[in-house]
Amino acid sequence: MQRSFALLILMGFIFGGCAFDVAHVTYHPTVFTAQPQSGKSIALKEEVKITQTPCGYHRTLKQGSNWDLIGSIPEGNVYKPRDQVLTVECSNIYEAYLVVMNQSMVGFYLPVEKGFVELSKEINLPIE
Amino acid sequence: MKRFIKSFILISLAISMSACATGAKFTEVQPDLVSEKQEHGRIFFYRPSSLGAALQPDVLLNGEKVGEAISWGFFYVDRPAGTYTCVTSTEVKRKVSFTLEEGKTRFVRFSTSIGFFVGHVYGELVDESIGMSEIKDCHYIGQANQ
Repeated sequence: MQRSFALLILMGFIFGGCAFDVAHVTYHPTVFTAQPQSGKSIALKEEVKITQTPCGYHRTLKQGSNWDLIGSIPEGNVYKPRDQVLTVECSNIYEAYLVVMNQSMVGFYLPVEKGFVELSKEINLPIE
Repeated sequence: MKRFIKSFILISLAISMSACATGAKFTEVQPDLVSEKQEHGRIFFYRPSSLGAALQPDVLLNGEKVGEAISWGFFYVDRPAGTYTCVTSTEVKRKVSFTLEEGKTRFVRFSTSIGFFVGHVYGELVDESIGMSEIKDCHYIGQANQ
């Protein structure tokens, strides 16, 4: 018992001095071109589950949710949610918008980091 | 040994309870959801849980301390439209980044996850409907520089 306790204390000193290596969302910088008040938007007929997210934190795009076109990046058009919060998450959490190309979601745009997170496989969006 | 465990549980419970926020409830304060200031948005911060209540990390918004993440507590700040990063630190630094628009409201909820030695308190951006329903039972703890 005493030996285990001593070991735990020792481990505390050893690991306590280390910076924990947090898991990061991998994104690459991209160039955003704004299209303010484009007036274009999309609505989803059905719920969309995104399972290939960084670090395995799944996300759901709600049925009936509306997404406003606010601009574009070289990877596609950027749609901002009007009625739900979308984030991507590892150790840290980043607000995210949809990146859509030819009615398929190809990734996330991170508006604060100005970065693009690519999906390994495109998701066809059930657009109304 | 049994007495030690009993004492440990009692002390932990006492610390947890005393570490919870005690100000007026959100429903009593009834703050405006939007900022009165033009070109500003309002950010609500709240922590609707007693888990890891003894952990009360500072809340840094773009590097400035705006409050503390206290169990069952809430506070809010008005900030100009722009991009923001909220950081809390225990044994690790956790951040959440988001945008704020003029006249809009954002809700940042603090939760606790299991850490190596102590828990990690981290902020999440949540839908307004979720924020409004969860913040109701939280108590006003004020901003850092009030």
